[in-house]
Amino acid sequence: MTSRSDRNALPSETRPSPAEIPTAREVTEAVNAELREHGIQAAYNHLLRAELRSGGRKPTLAIYDNAFHFIGGAQKYGLTLAAALRDQFDVTILANKECRPRDFIDWYRLDLSDCPIKIIPLPYYEDKKAFHIDPAFITRETGNPFDLVARESGRYDFFVNNSMNEMVCPLSNVSVMICHFPERRPADYFYADRYAAVVYNSLYTASWIRKKWKLEPHRLIYPPVDMETGESGSPKKNIILSVARFEPEGNKRQREMIETFLKLSREWPEIVRGWTFVLVGGSPPDNAYLSRLEMIIANNPAGKVELKVNLPADELKSLYRDAALFWHVCGLTHEDPGEIEHFGMTTVEAMQNRLVPLVYDGGGLREIVDHGVNGFLISSKADLLDFTVKLIRDPRLVEELGRAAREKAQSYTRDKFENRVREYFGELLERVLAPA
Amino acid sequence: MDTLAQEIQRLKEALDRKRDEILDLRKLVSEDIDRKFPSSAEEFSDRELEIHLRDSLAALEGREETKPDLKAVLSHRRTLRRPVEFIKRGLLQTTFESLNEFLDKQNEFNRRLSTFSQALLIRLRHDRERLKGIEEKVADCEENLALLTNKIEDLRSNLDRIR
Repeated sequence: MTSRSDRNALPSETRPSPAEIPTAREVTEAVNAELREHGIQAAYNHLLRAELRSGGRKPTLAIYDNAFHFIGGAQKYGLTLAAALRDQFDVTILANKECRPRDFIDWYRLDLSDCPIKIIPLPYYEDKKAFHIDPAFITRETGNPFDLVARESGRYDFFVNNSMNEMVCPLSNVSVMICHFPERRPADYFYADRYAAVVYNSLYTASWIRKKWKLEPHRLIYPPVDMETGESGSPKKNIILSVARFEPEGNKRQREMIETFLKLSREWPEIVRGWTFVLVGGSPPDNAYLSRLEMIIANNPAGKVELKVNLPADELKSLYRDAALFWHVCGLTHEDPGEIEHFGMTTVEAMQNRLVPLVYDGGGLREIVDHGVNGFLISSKADLLDFTVKLIRDPRLVEELGRAAREKAQSYTRDKFENRVREYFGELLERVLAPA
Repeated sequence: MDTLAQEIQRLKEALDRKRDEILDLRKLVSEDIDRKFPSSAEEFSDRELEIHLRDSLAALEGREETKPDLKAVLSHRRTLRRPVEFIKRGLLQTTFESLNEFLDKQNEFNRRLSTFSQALLIRLRHDRERLKGIEEKVADCEENLALLTNKIEDLRSNLDRIR
């Protein structure tokens, strides 16, 4: 970390030479020309660029997410990015609803108390008292509530849009969209193609950016995963683990996994004797899908299946430490590419702790797991049964694949993520500082 | 340097004030940022197709009638509103008189097309349900096969050990 006084100027390696610094008169003339030809925002941007090039201050960066007020994988990505860049930039966090630095520490173990948080309330959603700010409701008839965020974006050198929301028109000199997945096709208020750079979280996401948005994304930066418990050699217990949100729509396919385990318990009880299937995940209150799962389990007492809802992080860590196998079949019988795991953070968390992953053969999971090398890719419940039985019958294979899984998971650590982020934003900053 | 910093500060404050005065984003950037995006149903996923079919059918159902609605013809004049409405309606009725036979046929065609599309959609949904049922049965057979194969392997290795 640099001290406060160091933080007020550009790093020495990026500071321009005196010959490159424009005079006051040149700046005024250029700003007036921009004002005449391209309008106020262009003139303002020119001024910010000139100020930055003169070396008098650090570049400013605003990172926006319409969901910073609740816990989520994409939000962890954005805030870890903010943490990685706060030495290079003066970072401001833009949100639409109240959120506190304390929450970021509790949810992601990220201390961002030195980054100001600016709340931009959106009257359209405030009137509806909506907790989730869902852009899917926005049409030409409603008008674009995100114009307020767009206006704010123009006050910074860099604007990073980390939300799954391409309705924010970026006005800053450098704009970066972090695309976690292109959920919607281009329609009213689609501005993804106005961003200078599109960063993506997996090759799977990139393929859909090309198909849905007809855009060529710019840089792959895999999400940060840091769930290592630090006990790399402790013996594993007979636990099959699944970690995924209990989504009311059932997209994570917990029902299918429970049915598979119960079938195994019913048809071949000797093979799973002593094994427990533990499903961990967050859930909203009054979740009908979760109630259905509880009923299935209650009606089949023979199979040892446990549901652990909204488990504290410490208990999850201890399960990662103990469990031997990891099941994740999100994407099985999908009807939309968005239902498949775009990356698969919990799979990497499991692999960091030597669990052997048995995961759906699709989406970002294909990039994480190498079939037969550090886990298995499955495309049906039959595959899940087949490879699980093979692993249960061969503890040496579990150990071998678990070790390989841990090795592969090292590609997705927080350190690696932060290095990639700093490198890429450093490149973007150089482009801004380069003489016009 | 100080002059430059001061000039930048002065311009920034002036531009900030101007920025705050302009509420419309389009004026701020001095360009039209909104476009129309055509989309092709060929690219749609199953879920998108389902939504597209539902919306298209609803749109079709509301547009079967091709004859003009005479009650919808109004006049907004303060005086002579009623006579103007009467004349407008009369003219429209006379104009369409000769087309009525054709329009009746068109209406009938529209109604049939709408019912036909609805029937196709219902059939498609039934077929999908049937297909889903068959897929589940096949999946069940595959699961049993996977278990049997593994059991046979288990027996074989036990047998080898006994030998």
